[in-house]
Amino acid sequence: MLPKFEYYSPTSLSEALDLLEKYGEDAKIIAGGTDLLVSMRDRILKPKCLIDIKKIPELRRIEYKEGVGLTIGAAVTFKDILEYPNLEKKYRVLWEAVKTIGDMILRNRATLVGNICNASPAADSAPALLILDARARIINKNDGVREVPLERFFIGVKKTILKPTEIVKEVFVPEPPANCYGKYVKVMRVQSEDLAVVGVAGLAYRDRGDLIIRLAYSSVAPTPIRVKEVEEVFKKKNMSLDEKIEEAVKISSEKVSPISDVRGSAEYRLNLVKVATRRLIKELVEVV
Amino acid sequence: MSRRKIRFKINGVEKTVEVEPNKTLLWLIREELKLKGTKKACERGDCGLCTVLLNGEPVKSCLVLAVEVDGSDILTVEGLAKNGELAPIQRAFIEHGATQCGFCTPAFLIVGHWLINRNPNPSREEVVEAINGLLCRCTGYKPIIDAILEAAKYMRRT
Ligand SMILES: Cc1cc2nc3c(=O)[nH]c(=O)nc-3n(C[C@H](O)[C@H](O)[C@H](O)COP(=O)(O)OP(=O)(O)OC[C@H]3O[C@@H](n4cnc5c(N)ncnc54)[C@H](O)[C@@H]3O)c2cc1C
Ligand code: FES
Ligand code: FES
Repeated sequence: MLPKFEYYSPTSLSEALDLLEKYGEDAKIIAGGTDLLVSMRDRILKPKCLIDIKKIPELRRIEYKEGVGLTIGAAVTFKDILEYPNLEKKYRVLWEAVKTIGDMILRNRATLVGNICNASPAADSAPALLILDARARIINKNDGVREVPLERFFIGVKKTILKPTEIVKEVFVPEPPANCYGKYVKVMRVQSEDLAVVGVAGLAYRDRGDLIIRLAYSSVAPTPIRVKEVEEVFKKKNMSLDEKIEEAVKISSEKVSPISDVRGSAEYRLNLVKVATRRLIKELVEVV
Repeated sequence: MSRRKIRFKINGVEKTVEVEPNKTLLWLIREELKLKGTKKACERGDCGLCTVLLNGEPVKSCLVLAVEVDGSDILTVEGLAKNGELAPIQRAFIEHGATQCGFCTPAFLIVGHWLINRNPNPSREEVVEAINGLLCRCTGYKPIIDAILEAAKYMRRT
């Protein structure tokens, strides 16, 4: 049984923002409900009012513009993303990450914006979004839209910079670097459906011949994190590729701060970070 | 908490009922409409045994609010057989012994039915992918996968 609440299904964004302004802390947005309803069932959350955003046409928009980027509205499901033409090629790392989330039935309902707003350290879409320089477009009733890089959006376990009166309208993912290659590695306990023990997203490309590598992680820190420091390593001139890879592995393993839980011990996770990072970089380098 | 009037179609029949916002689609199906084929188990999206088709797509009904289905079309296992005749997916399950205790069967039938209607020539991998969100504790999945592939053959023949 779910705790009691009032339910609204506004058909415009302005109506939804009015409701949020009115109810503030007492209200919660519901998109796919796949995180929210579970937390409510467990009585972790007891909102007095749910605002369903699925009937707002503007939020259902997913659109890619060549040379500009990809806009993913707050009511766009993972299924919509997987079915959008050419994303598998253009945004391979994101597409792969989305494909690992839950199962086909769950992806019919669950949204990408819900995934980041829920701000679980294990959010599978987050590492890919971080290395693609994605930005959240946030709106409230009075101030219009503000754009926040995803790196500044997460502030702790299940905590974001969102104020109670704000909605993430959409996520914008800029055009990826030309000829880049990306990959998401999700290490799981079982070969089926589970949250990641460790997740690593990598993106590699060449900038006038110089190798550029970006890395981000899930499930190894209070928030999903991008380790920007490794990006400097690959710009160095006086090191061999193998030395650079080992340096990157070392930096990444120092930047993460895994905990022990039902999915694995901190020690195991740290070891996985090293192994997965090393393998991933080697694979990326072979392609670009 | 104000009750809401919702209208929807379930297994081809129009219904109008009043529900409280905190009731799930699973509750609506089992408790209000007394259709007990759809199973209630984990109620947190993990087992998939509450799966039904909502506007033609599979959803885990324990994670959908009843108020959300206003204006929708729902199909449950009870709606598969037509005029006393079993659907292809049901015949194939019987022939392959794809049922043991039977608790998971309605969910697999619904997803199998959805898959073969959408794609009457699925590969084994596509079947596995489609049922990835459903748990069976008895069969080991093989007879279920075989039955879905067999049902797809029936579909291609007709
Ligand atoms: C069986 C199962 C398996 C799962 N597997 C995975 C997995 O493999 N990987 C993974 O990362 N996650 C997984 N999840 C978690 C969950 O499905 C995802 O996080 C999903 O993306 C959440 O999206 P939603 O639309 O359902 O969010 P909701 O539950 O609707 O919302 C989540 C939270 O974000 C807030 N919110 C939603 N939209 C907005 C908005 N536009 N503006 C402001 N706040 C908003 C809500 O108020 C709520 O607090 C799983 C969940 C289940 C039940
Ligand atoms: S009862 Fe709905 S998924 Fe288990
Ligand atoms: S037949 Fe018993 S759970 Fe599947």
